[in-house]
Amino acid sequence: MHIQKNIQEQARQHLAEATKEFDKCMKCGKCRNVCPVFKELGNEIFSARGKNKLAEKLVAGDIEITARVKQAINECLNCKTCAANCPAGVKPEEVVLRMRWYITTKEGLHWFKALLFRQLLWRKWPITLGAKMVGLAQRSFFGIGPNNPVRHLFPLFGFSKRRFFPEMALKTGQSLYPEVIPAKGKKKMRVGYFTGCAGNLIYTNVVTSVVEILTACGYEVVIPKKQRCNGTPVLANGDYEGARRLMQFNYDLFQSYDLDAIVVACSSCGLALKKEIKQFVEGSPELEAFTGKVYDIHEFIENNITFEEGDLGKLPYKVSYHDPCHLVRGQGVREQPRNILKRIPGVEFHEMKDAAVCCGSAGSYCITHYDTAIKIDNHKVKNIQDAHVDYVATGCPTCIMHIQDNLKQHESPEKMRYVVEMLADSLRAGGKIK
Amino acid sequence: MNTSQIQELQNIFGKEEVLTEPEDLLVYGYDASPVEITPEVVVFAKTTEHVSELLKFAYREEIPVTPRGQGSGLSGGSIPHKSGIVLSMDKMNKILHIDPENRLITVEAGLTTSEIDPAIAKFNLFYPPDPGSVSFSSIGGNVAENAGGLRGLKYGVTKNYVKEMKVVLPQGNIVTIGSKCVKHVAGFNMESVFVGAEGLLGVVTEITLALMPIPAHRESALAIFTTLRDAAQCVSDIIAAGVTPSTLEFIDNKAINAIQDFKDCGLPRDAEAVLIIECDGEEHSAKAEMAKVEKMTEKNKVRKFKIAQSAGERDNLFEGRRVCLNALASVRPNLILEDATVLRSQLPEIVAGVSQLAEKYKLDIGLFGHAGDGNMHPTFLYDAKDADETARVHEAVKELFQLAIDLGGTISGEHGIGLEKKPFLADQIGNEGIALLQAVKKTLDPKNLLNPGKMFDMPQDTVQAA
Ligand SMILES: Cc1cc2nc3c(=O)[nH]c(=O)nc-3n(C[C@H](O)[C@H](O)[C@H](O)COP(=O)(O)OP(=O)(O)OC[C@H]3O[C@@H](n4cnc5c(N)ncnc54)[C@H](O)[C@@H]3O)c2cc1C
Ligand code: SF4
Ligand code: SF4
Repeated sequence: MHIQKNIQEQARQHLAEATKEFDKCMKCGKCRNVCPVFKELGNEIFSARGKNKLAEKLVAGDIEITARVKQAINECLNCKTCAANCPAGVKPEEVVLRMRWYITTKEGLHWFKALLFRQLLWRKWPITLGAKMVGLAQRSFFGIGPNNPVRHLFPLFGFSKRRFFPEMALKTGQSLYPEVIPAKGKKKMRVGYFTGCAGNLIYTNVVTSVVEILTACGYEVVIPKKQRCNGTPVLANGDYEGARRLMQFNYDLFQSYDLDAIVVACSSCGLALKKEIKQFVEGSPELEAFTGKVYDIHEFIENNITFEEGDLGKLPYKVSYHDPCHLVRGQGVREQPRNILKRIPGVEFHEMKDAAVCCGSAGSYCITHYDTAIKIDNHKVKNIQDAHVDYVATGCPTCIMHIQDNLKQHESPEKMRYVVEMLADSLRAGGKIK
Repeated sequence: MNTSQIQELQNIFGKEEVLTEPEDLLVYGYDASPVEITPEVVVFAKTTEHVSELLKFAYREEIPVTPRGQGSGLSGGSIPHKSGIVLSMDKMNKILHIDPENRLITVEAGLTTSEIDPAIAKFNLFYPPDPGSVSFSSIGGNVAENAGGLRGLKYGVTKNYVKEMKVVLPQGNIVTIGSKCVKHVAGFNMESVFVGAEGLLGVVTEITLALMPIPAHRESALAIFTTLRDAAQCVSDIIAAGVTPSTLEFIDNKAINAIQDFKDCGLPRDAEAVLIIECDGEEHSAKAEMAKVEKMTEKNKVRKFKIAQSAGERDNLFEGRRVCLNALASVRPNLILEDATVLRSQLPEIVAGVSQLAEKYKLDIGLFGHAGDGNMHPTFLYDAKDADETARVHEAVKELFQLAIDLGGTISGEHGIGLEKKPFLADQIGNEGIALLQAVKKTLDPKNLLNPGKMFDMPQDTVQAA
């Protein structure tokens, strides 16, 4: 069992871990021009090098936790582009997270975040209920054109008036199936599925796609009904303790099922279950075995499934792919989703420019920093338009939400989709999925 | 600085472009060197006129101003030594004009250097100077430091490409120096004075650069040697044989192993040294040059000579060289990268000298660099928390500089003097040499307000210090 460390000890440890990272920094500045936030805001304080320096000064006691320090520390997408480019192996985004945790350990969590992360997400039902109510409201009165007066209410909830939202599901993804869904034909493996909140509450299509693809190909799918948020938004907002509790819960829950593998169709959830969990759940051989069997869905499909001639039906579309940060840099998943798309008959694949550059969504960043997030995304929209495609496929719900919103703002016709949704469509057209 | 002075700066630049919060200032007080000094104000210029008004204001109020590119400098050039105002050139980053007919490009000084090539590729042109920092340094910073790169031996360094510059002098006058013409002799050859001036004589705001046609063919090879001396002698012999490769890079055993630990680039861990060589031009001439290179490697008992058969193989070869500094950085907690440079005929001597230093001071020194132009990068790997080791590093560095000077070389081939090498400049150019620099500085900047305290001290500072 994990022994809960006292708060002071936790704060000290966050500083120590951050120090390990920024101590390696040579201040060369290679992480500056590649940082999407720095590129838009142009002030060194928002660059990875600048944030390393602030952290260093904070640890040394040369500066206090001021509003400006917090602002700088909050201007980070956790896109990991800095780390991917750093010659000295520094992980500046890790420094940022440690600082956020350190600050909340010192100052306590904002009451609203405490309520959200420690009560609502933990209990789960209020979030599910809330989402359904929003779903109903969306269907009843926001046909939500740009001039709908309902938009004036958005800022009350921290959203920009201009924002386009996806519709919340009336029936959650998890409630569409029993807990165990048998394989079609001979069973090859028993696979656990972590749906993530977005799959459960918004994009339930991704849940049906994953379940139908896997069962059609001979995998028994288990969706543990008690699964909760994996903690990504919680840890991004500085609530180390809240994130730890959720990670431990999901770990214990999935361990209680006898599973050969665990698949995830959300980039950040996958990263959390594969890697980030190691910072939260006490290390052990069982933990190693657990993280070792977590797979991003594209990875799982490419490793395990070969489609027969005729399984895949034709989809006559031009398609491009956008790399979510937490797939390409977080998990090293780059080619697998592209290979899946290219395998679909009829799909004409066009690589867009800078496919692996962050779109600016970054979970709650695009809610709290909408204007900058849109500026960052404008480059993405331009590259999508230049690719001349019908669909942009990807593997992350917040990327889909954010890019789709901005495509609409630009009155651009391209549609965002999950790679697995397109694969499921093709298997349906081929008759493999009945 | 007082509030009315800040107010005046806000009037010049706009409120948004003047930073005064302590947290903002902290991050404009460093570069890639070890020094750090916090400025009082940071301003972002967007036009040449902004810079001119700023310098006039600074002269009237007697406030020091330090120009700053992207802060990738290794000699502390952009550190506000006397505090005061840091002038960031980050927001003057436009490409102003491309003139393919005359093979010229005019850009603002804050532009990131690596943004030039993609803009001119469609005209089959390129900008040859390629410092390792090409994607995180500004062209203005490159001009101020006269930056070099991997292609220096055939294509020269930044100064060979600067045709014309718009410069704001320390008291605010705007001048255009040089000319876009291939030839010009109207007035002094002032470009040479301002390139490499490290921001002491003026602020460069616009630069017209010469461009070159992209070579039709590149022939790349790896040569593996069993002794350091053979590898170094081979470089000297290649030059003596009349061949001018576009790249001729040297990597020693310590650096090879650091690279292989960092990333497998296919380098042989047991070799004492390797050379990475590239010849470019028309296909037949590049191949003919490479054949001569191969002969010279044979003469120096090369263990293996391997020509890259594909673009992929070539990229892998260069990847090793590209990650070299990164790889060395991960060996020990700290490093000091030097750039002492010697005549190419003296390469074996400097290589042997560095080995002796490592032995004498019991230090880890990785050696790599632009051997083809005599510019080596002995890299001292150490732990700054170990006071004894740090002291030995500083002694060894001093001795390295003296060795370079004794061999008729220079203490800095490309990183500049700034604060880091200021104490050693007189050893190379003598007191008379320093006096000349002081005289030039005094003529243009009598109050010593533009980037003061860099490269050399002015006489009044020396007196004060004494
Ligand atoms: C990893 C790494 C690799 C490097 N590799 C190389 C290399 O291969 N070759 C090489 O030569 N250097 C190299 N450097 C050193 C450095 O990148 C260069 O000196 C570069 O030219 C500095 O540019 P900058 O824009 O960062 O300038 P800064 O560091 O900001 O400033 C450098 C100097 O230029 C002055 N300056 C800046 N802009 C202006 C302007 N517009 N007008 C007047 N003065 C100005 C500043 O006052 C300062 O004195 C490397 C550095 C690092 C960290
Ligand atoms: S790239 Fe790495 S070493 Fe360089 S400044 Fe950024 S974090 Fe520091
Ligand atoms: S993680 Fe992304 S946004 Fe954050 S500092 Fe690094 S590059 Fe910038």
